[in-house]
Amino acid sequence: MPVQTHVDLVNQFLLSAVDSVATVEKIARTPEALNEALLKEIADEQFVLLSQPDDIDKELFSLFEKNEKVITYPTGEQLKTIRTGITDSFCAVAKTGSVCVSVNKYLTSAISMLTRKHIVVVDSRTIVPRPADLFSENYLEGKGLSKSFSFITGPSATADMGPLVRGVHGPGQIHIIVLD
Amino acid sequence: MIKSSMQEIHPREVANKGDKENLQKAIGMALEVENDALRLNTQTFNANRYNAIKKLNDYEGLKDRARKIKEKSIENLPELINKLTAAVQSRGGKVYLAKTKEDAAGYVKDVCKSHSAKLVVKAKSITSEEIGLNDSLEKENIEVAETDLAEFILQVSKEQPSHIVAPAIHRSRERISKLFKENFRTAQKLETGEELTKFARDILRQKFLSADVGISGANLIAANEGTILLVESEGNIRLTTQLPAIHIAIAGIEKIIETKKDFGTFIELLAASGTGQQLTTYTNILEPPLNLPVLNLNGRQDTLREFHLVLVDNGRMKMREDRDLYEALYCIRCSACMNVCANFQAVGGHAFGGECYTGGIGGAWTVGTTGKLENGRFAELCTGCSRCIPSCPVQINIPHLNTVIKNRLIKKGEPSLQRKFFGNFSVLARFTSTVPTLSNWAANFYLSKIIFEKVIGFDKRRNIPRFAKSTLTKQYQNYKRDSSIREIESNASTKLILFADVYTNYNNPHIGMAIVKLFEKLGLPVTLSKVMEDGRAAQSQGLIDAAGNSAKRLTRYLLELIADGADLLFAEPSVLSMIRYDYKKFVNDNRLFLKLQNNCYDPMEYLLKIVKEGTLNVDWLKERITNRNIKIFYHGHCQMKSIGIGNSTPDFLEMLGFEVDISIAECCGMAGSFGYKKQYYELSKNVGKDLTKQIRKSQVDGCSIILASGNSCREQIMDELGEEVYHPIEFLHKVIG
Repeated sequence: MPVQTHVDLVNQFLLSAVDSVATVEKIARTPEALNEALLKEIADEQFVLLSQPDDIDKELFSLFEKNEKVITYPTGEQLKTIRTGITDSFCAVAKTGSVCVSVNKYLTSAISMLTRKHIVVVDSRTIVPRPADLFSENYLEGKGLSKSFSFITGPSATADMGPLVRGVHGPGQIHIIVLD
Repeated sequence: MIKSSMQEIHPREVANKGDKENLQKAIGMALEVENDALRLNTQTFNANRYNAIKKLNDYEGLKDRARKIKEKSIENLPELINKLTAAVQSRGGKVYLAKTKEDAAGYVKDVCKSHSAKLVVKAKSITSEEIGLNDSLEKENIEVAETDLAEFILQVSKEQPSHIVAPAIHRSRERISKLFKENFRTAQKLETGEELTKFARDILRQKFLSADVGISGANLIAANEGTILLVESEGNIRLTTQLPAIHIAIAGIEKIIETKKDFGTFIELLAASGTGQQLTTYTNILEPPLNLPVLNLNGRQDTLREFHLVLVDNGRMKMREDRDLYEALYCIRCSACMNVCANFQAVGGHAFGGECYTGGIGGAWTVGTTGKLENGRFAELCTGCSRCIPSCPVQINIPHLNTVIKNRLIKKGEPSLQRKFFGNFSVLARFTSTVPTLSNWAANFYLSKIIFEKVIGFDKRRNIPRFAKSTLTKQYQNYKRDSSIREIESNASTKLILFADVYTNYNNPHIGMAIVKLFEKLGLPVTLSKVMEDGRAAQSQGLIDAAGNSAKRLTRYLLELIADGADLLFAEPSVLSMIRYDYKKFVNDNRLFLKLQNNCYDPMEYLLKIVKEGTLNVDWLKERITNRNIKIFYHGHCQMKSIGIGNSTPDFLEMLGFEVDISIAECCGMAGSFGYKKQYYELSKNVGKDLTKQIRKSQVDGCSIILASGNSCREQIMDELGEEVYHPIEFLHKVIG
């Protein structure tokens, strides 16, 4: 198989993510760019939940965190009711357009499943070719083997009521921000 | 509309199909009430599966690896259980190994009670159905909320699952809408998929936010790491396993594999084979008890996360010791075998299934987990068409499991005249062919049809197979005698022998002669073998010993011919596939089996092969075709497709310049003797309609001739359309001058 370059992987990921019915954008790896991209995505929201970054450099969120819409330590009530949540992810998969969200000591996983819209930030350097790579020591220094996480591939969906419906128990919308 | 007679039959009641009458009722109910939704939904899954496996760049390699991993895991199961127990305990989780279903349900109940649980949220778990969990919790006044939308529907309708991945696959949107309107008092509109989904979601979100305990299943569990794989698309598994502080996972012991490093082999394979996705929306890799904070959104004061893994034996260790049924333990519950199955597409798991395990693989599972052979009677609905075999990601020979169940039912004292009749067709054929005119005359006499139906269950609406006036053996001898003067100039490097199977010899000698004459025109002289029984008919009735004896005799004979330098041609695909796939079980020496595999051919496959090898010039052949302006409809035989030669006939015809419409039906529904049986006539016709609908459409588009390689496929199509259907070789013989 031909060796994929970093650029190939990123491009393949962007296409696969769109196929999975996520929306996706690629931005510069700076606090300013991330702040701008996130503000644009949450323009209609009064409040949004932000999980404490664990897999992505905290510094990148430093500007955005200060925004008054952002809630980083939600009450139970806020966790139950706020519609939009932002989390980081520790990896993404080029072939399937999946993002991998950790189950960690923060609210990352909770926010990614309780909200109606999930905005997820991924570092382009952590994109791997195939899902199976998460179970190999050869990728991400074996990070995939050492934690609980979910591959998230597009919005939650069901065909149980007849036609395909998006937005069931999990978010009906997913927006992926790739840091170049 | 549901007829009043059918309203009385509830899927819960027909679930126990231990006796024949209940099985018949279930088939009737399913055909009448559930058929449309089942066909649409299973065929959508099936088509999506074909698309998804095309995108897997290493499908066959993944299947091989998955098979090996499962073989090794089941072999080392006791050791893996110990390793897994240690791994989960080292993280502070608890493991309970339940010997029986009562044990398992009892343990879960005790855990729930110890936490004073009032409400439990549950993700889809067929194993929890197997152990009767909901009943056992409800008896203790613990409310169980099924959170998978399909299971939610079934909880409202009080039905059993009809499919292991999409348990409400038998319900159309209209029937779900009607069900919800009857059961919930609401002003909300409940018509579209979106409205129905939102309605259920809102109810279930409240349940999630107040549940005390979450109960899930597991797709796979890694012993070394204590890691659980859980795949889903709705998001209910994530909420179930992560919102309440107490999580109980219930899994059969066969779900254990050695290490999570092997998860990579399964996740894409499972998604593609099951729902036809590249990856399920959520593929969860969990090592509970999880380290995420206790949320207590339910208002509880839990301080620690608690995890219980309930490993269910309930007959599995016994299955592991069973020399045939052990293979079912490799199943990863993807449901491909159901979606690809023509009979399942028509009647679903309420007829073709037990209380919770459905479809072809469901027979062995139902017998294994209930301990009662009779509960696996629905294995009768497996015709042995074999379409499930190449679809199975772990390569289970599912038809064999069902043949074994049929066989054990016979041995338990249930042989029937019907089985004997269809299983020993050759004896009958030999006898009646001595007086073909008389037997054909008698066969279509109304009174004899009634007697036939009464005595052996041969449906009187079917035509009794006709015996030719003169057998292939006789016709061939006469032909040779007449043509002995002209010497055939041979350009073949090997000897070609046409196998005189029972059907071709007694019923279809004209096809055998067409092969001989066509090949002769191409400079390929063909001689004829002895008439011998191949064992297919006996096997399809569950008469394994008889099939094995025939197989051994025929193997010896064929190997002699092969040793003598011959290639063998087979007019009947069911016989060819019996030898090329099923004989593996009967021929102990793999080297000899490979010889059979490599030297037995379908005639069209053979022609395509020698064209590709350059021995037969296709342009020379094309020039000899009198009329190439013919559009063909071709139905490939199910078993031919399963041994990988489903495309050779249409490929060859297209190479010759014909336009070919190819049947997309997995099986014609006749499936050997299945469609002749009185009790399966309606089902067989229902399956066949799918195919004939496609033929009618193709005829509108200009197709003028119908070809089918299999004898029973031709019968089925002729019966439905009243039009002639030809073997591809007959057609070529006619058009090549």
